[in-house]
Amino acid sequence: MNIDLDCHPTTEMLNKYVQGSLPTGWNVVLSAHLELCQKCRQEYGDLESAEVHSWSEGPVEEVANDFSDLVASIIKQPQQATADTPLSQESPITEIHMLDHSFTLPQVLAKAANDGLEWKKLAGGINQAKVNIDTETQCEFIYMSPGSQTPMHRHQGNEITLVLDGSFSDASGTYEAGDFVIRNNKDEHQPVSEKGCLCFAVLDSPLTFTQGLARLFNPINRFKFRKTIAHQS
Amino acid sequence: MGVSTLRLLVKFGSHRELFLIICDPTLKYSRYRGMTSAILKKGFPTRQRMSDLDQPSAKSASAHLSPPVDPDSDEYLLVETGNSQSTAAFNRLFQRYSSKIYAMGMKLTRNEQLSKDLVQEAMLNVWRKARLYDLDRGTAQSWIFTITRNRCFDMLRKLKRQPNTVTADDIWPQDNGSESALLPEGALHEEQGSLEAEASIIASYCKQLPEPQQAVIEQVYILDRTHDEAAEILKIPLGTLKSRLRLGVSKLRHLIGVDL
Repeated sequence: MNIDLDCHPTTEMLNKYVQGSLPTGWNVVLSAHLELCQKCRQEYGDLESAEVHSWSEGPVEEVANDFSDLVASIIKQPQQATADTPLSQESPITEIHMLDHSFTLPQVLAKAANDGLEWKKLAGGINQAKVNIDTETQCEFIYMSPGSQTPMHRHQGNEITLVLDGSFSDASGTYEAGDFVIRNNKDEHQPVSEKGCLCFAVLDSPLTFTQGLARLFNPINRFKFRKTIAHQS
Repeated sequence: MGVSTLRLLVKFGSHRELFLIICDPTLKYSRYRGMTSAILKKGFPTRQRMSDLDQPSAKSASAHLSPPVDPDSDEYLLVETGNSQSTAAFNRLFQRYSSKIYAMGMKLTRNEQLSKDLVQEAMLNVWRKARLYDLDRGTAQSWIFTITRNRCFDMLRKLKRQPNTVTADDIWPQDNGSESALLPEGALHEEQGSLEAEASIIASYCKQLPEPQQAVIEQVYILDRTHDEAAEILKIPLGTLKSRLRLGVSKLRHLIGVDL
């Protein structure tokens, strides 16, 4: 994992994750990163303790309701004797097979891939499998075949790429398994992967391609591209 | 022995799980679970040797201790709710937590009705899952916090008609079984002599506990048995095992002087 480059979620992001105030897609990529990164798991633990503390000490809101009926009805319910079935028994997809090896997915991603992955070939040796997690983000697995290169693109909003296996590089550096790469609308980049790379990416809006034919592949992107160009000139 | 020494012990793996819990009762991820090494088992007295202790010295050592478990603590109430379906204990928890849960609901949903629904949802889950609460899950506060956050998250997802691909419990795992793989490199290759010395210090603290508590600690933390297995071996009810474990650990915490 990359230590020198800042390839971890920000404290602000982790804090929102602790509080449960992020859209599901962001939560999923954070959860997967935590499973791979001890440093962030530690930080998560500290932030959660602080949050629990301020929650239990903090101001309370008086509830107008009388809950006595509620208590009476709750205690009639049976108690659970065992924990819910662990994930591994219900999720058929726990690993992704690549050319010469396979990769075991973090738990939350195994669950996200539960319904099966439909891989689509994109330009430049890139393969993409979208997963339907929420309506606020776009989530996908990306497999860059060895020697692949994505077209130069810029982001409209935020994109988080979690490297699961292999590595990719762009002008800012090389990213390896576990790295949490954040890009926003100021960044324009062209990732390449020499040896192949499996990622999970979450975007909060579609990409804008700024180079080559790739921009014409998607009518929505094309429209955005025109808008971007018109804006610039 | 100060807290920092203990943290060191934890880092280098003397009865890791037990000491992680002693040092940090809120610990969420049982990172070192199941990694107790053979050296440490060797350095630790067996149950037979523990029971050979002369009781007076153990008593004098623990005579100054204040009662380790407050029967009005949230943890005690939660364990009571789970072990004996105690309505009184649950009522007490309800009084303490309903307004906190409501406040978290207002913060996350900004909606009164949803926040009331959350109180019902979360407290129902506290009741139903109380038997599953144990020390590995940290404090009662953090356990109830997690339940509340997760139920709120799922309520909102349902309301926004989000797909059911992942739920809150997938996103915030309760217990991560794969943690042991992440043990810091070299943790098991520390100098044996010092490990053995540390183990005997730990053992001497354990000896000061009443025999029944030593027995459950030995089963669960030294021999790595599950609560169910340990209860069966010791022929005691699961609830008794859990409360002895809790008493034992909190007494140890007190003896060692970890103040958290």
